[in-house]
Amino acid sequence: MRRSLQALPLLLVISTLVFLLIHAAPGGPLAIYLSNPNVRPEDIERLRHALGLDRPLWQQYWSWLAAFAQGDWGYSFSDGRPVAARIVERIPATLELVGTSIVVALALTLPAGVLAAVRRGRWFDRTTTAVAVAGISLPAFWFGLLLQIVFAIGFGWLPSSGRATLGGGDLIDHVHHLVLPVTVLAVVQAAAWSRYLRGSMIDTLAQPFVLAAHARGIPARAVILRHALRNAIGPVLAVVMVDAALLASGAVVTESVFAWPGLGSLFTEALARRDYTVLMALLMLTSTAIVLFNVVADAVHALVDPRIAAA
Amino acid sequence: MTGQTSGQTHGQTAGQTRGQTASQTHGQTAGQTSGQTRGQTCLLIAVLLALTTAGCAWRSAATPPSNDLLIVGYDREPDTLNRFTTHILEDIQTCVVEGLTTTDEQMNVVPLLATDVPTSQNGGVRLRDDGGMDVTWKLRPGVTWHDGKPFTSADVKFTVEAINGPNYNPESTDGFDRISSVDTPDALTAIIHYKEIYAPYDIQFIRGTLPKHVLDGRDIDRAQDYNRAPLGTGPYRVADWKAGEYILLERVAHYWRGDQYPKIRRLMFKFIANTNTRINQLKSGEVHVVALVPWDKYREIAGLSSLAVHKTAGNAYEHVTLNERHFPPFGDVRVRRALTHALDRELLTKTILDGLAPVAHGPIQPVSWAYTDRITQYPFDPARARVLLDEAGWKVGPNEIRQRDGRPLAFTLITQAGFAIRENMAQAIERQLRDVGVDVTVQLHDGTAISAIWFEGRFDAMLHWWQMPSDPELTTFFAADRTPPAGRNINYYQDEALTRLLYASDRTVDREERKRLLHRAQQIVADAAPEIPLYSITRLDAVPSTLQHFKGNPTNTGIFWNVHEWEIK
Repeated sequence: MRRSLQALPLLLVISTLVFLLIHAAPGGPLAIYLSNPNVRPEDIERLRHALGLDRPLWQQYWSWLAAFAQGDWGYSFSDGRPVAARIVERIPATLELVGTSIVVALALTLPAGVLAAVRRGRWFDRTTTAVAVAGISLPAFWFGLLLQIVFAIGFGWLPSSGRATLGGGDLIDHVHHLVLPVTVLAVVQAAAWSRYLRGSMIDTLAQPFVLAAHARGIPARAVILRHALRNAIGPVLAVVMVDAALLASGAVVTESVFAWPGLGSLFTEALARRDYTVLMALLMLTSTAIVLFNVVADAVHALVDPRIAAA
Repeated sequence: MTGQTSGQTHGQTAGQTRGQTASQTHGQTAGQTSGQTRGQTCLLIAVLLALTTAGCAWRSAATPPSNDLLIVGYDREPDTLNRFTTHILEDIQTCVVEGLTTTDEQMNVVPLLATDVPTSQNGGVRLRDDGGMDVTWKLRPGVTWHDGKPFTSADVKFTVEAINGPNYNPESTDGFDRISSVDTPDALTAIIHYKEIYAPYDIQFIRGTLPKHVLDGRDIDRAQDYNRAPLGTGPYRVADWKAGEYILLERVAHYWRGDQYPKIRRLMFKFIANTNTRINQLKSGEVHVVALVPWDKYREIAGLSSLAVHKTAGNAYEHVTLNERHFPPFGDVRVRRALTHALDRELLTKTILDGLAPVAHGPIQPVSWAYTDRITQYPFDPARARVLLDEAGWKVGPNEIRQRDGRPLAFTLITQAGFAIRENMAQAIERQLRDVGVDVTVQLHDGTAISAIWFEGRFDAMLHWWQMPSDPELTTFFAADRTPPAGRNINYYQDEALTRLLYASDRTVDREERKRLLHRAQQIVADAAPEIPLYSITRLDAVPSTLQHFKGNPTNTGIFWNVHEWEIK
């Protein structure tokens, strides 16, 4: 609770910086109109005034902040709809994609990380190391396009993009559409997380208490899963939580490659159109999510490792 | 916001951790557990196999194009479907909201909701003694809005008043601001009184009209019911708009052309911003139509028997703008001509564009009625270019770069990032101009940034295109007083005679006379070479090979202008 309160001034500073940054980027919401020869200078001036962009920057910031603090996120510069509505309608798609990806990534991370640590230097460790390095270095857009070419165009097994077929929307259809984007996100995340878990496990396995457990005759499986893993997972969970916060605000590249209608593609669109109000709201959401998840991560860490809570 | 990149940092950290603990191996543990974990490994492999098999079982949901559903891969989600507010192409809107006129595949202005295009000959256009003009529109009888209410001249009048009124913010008021009033002597006649002569009057209502009975007295900017699902008179109505995913159009019951139209029951516009993904969907059959296929994607789809790729000569031209205010050496006509001679434009179009677009020689393209080829042209001639630069005082310096008074002939060429063809073209230009001793530095900017840069005139040269209006007005691009912010003369080229000619052409309604003036203007522009025209845009539109009556369109009206006739055979 105290940490949440401490976060408020931090968020205020972030909002100022972000506001200045997006206004410093060349071109504003009206730049897109310029390429149409029928839009004349009078039109640009009229629209600038209508959107309030002719006011001094500090005034624009102040009125945004005052409204935002009261829960009024304003209207999108691009389509004139309320920003809150534009964001809320994108949340289910992002949660569906990101939630599934995190579950799948964890399902890959746990066995891969534990086994690689336990059988250090053996073929399984070397294979997962190679796969993880590949996964970490794969650019998501490239990996995504590759999957499309193989599984959608080549074999024709899976839809290349989108969230559901028109009129579909049953569970199978959703799963069908999830496979490729989830693969991209899960592989990239699991590659990083499993490295973390492996390192953490190796550290833990070297601790005297593990040797003691073995000496007490506890079966090896129980030593690894109940004693070692429980100790090793704490720091990994902290990383997972922060990544989850970033993902929850939209997997920008993956959503764009797979035309996934979530927050990430909304961000891409808003950035291209310099839709200031939508950008501000999305960036503030991300910042808040990171702060929140950090607090939650601490709580979870304390739960698995009581020493943290005592401290 | 950076879900994908965060993984990389963590990966490095994990690597470090591994390095630190390398000396603390615990071989014993690994040995003891190998038997149990082998079972887990097998389980993992089994799960992966099962997933793959499941993939085989779920055949792709790709549906072939049919008269029940045609799926269009669209490069972006519209901001609004209100044709007067939107700032992107109106492909979706043309299926729903109809203009009084439209442009056909030859770029002719043809009547749609009007019975004729008004002209002086048919009495529809009358020039007044006070310098103004009156245009009389006769509306097609029997046309109703989708809610059954009749479409009348009151809607035309309401549209003009809404756009000129203080409470609505349309994208452009061009032309409308020259209208003083509208008379509606009867339900099917609207007389537009212009304060001055306005040559493009025939496309004034190409975007359609606003329904008075729905929008009268309302805040149109916030009328989301209309802006998201406009009431129109066209063959389709908006059935569903799923944010971030698609817009679904459904045929209307009694279209005014007859109940046999439209032939296709539903049109779905899927938003796929990523070009690679859009083309992948076309190849896998998940979408059936993609308009404006990039030229560098042509080879990927040209061989597919399921598709027909239509090529339409477009009404836009790629060129290099030479900003003589920002880079004064461009003010010398010899320098501008030399640069034009120095580029092998035939080679550029043949290699970079795969020969898909023809070389352009001026701002008006062959598709326009105002086009003439009787103008000065600048064939590839590097020797001539060198002579001209020598004459202008730019002598070859020590590092092969020309200089005058100790200053090198060096400038920056800006263009749009992430547009592969432009990036390649800019590099080729840099190379070819280097051959005659001109030093070009290419700079890439994102699309939004570049608009702001040119609008402020902060560049030397720019590689880009103008999508020209179907009316061949050149004033905004070349008149001396139309430099930003007053227009788009970003060459900052100043020529009084040309300026007078262009304004005269804007105030000439007679087609032949206007053509004569515009021919003269094209000749002046060609002689002065204020910019380097490169190539004329060819539109590539991919549609199913089974689609009948596709006609294409060179203008911003887009390919859906005759969608009511489309049919899958």
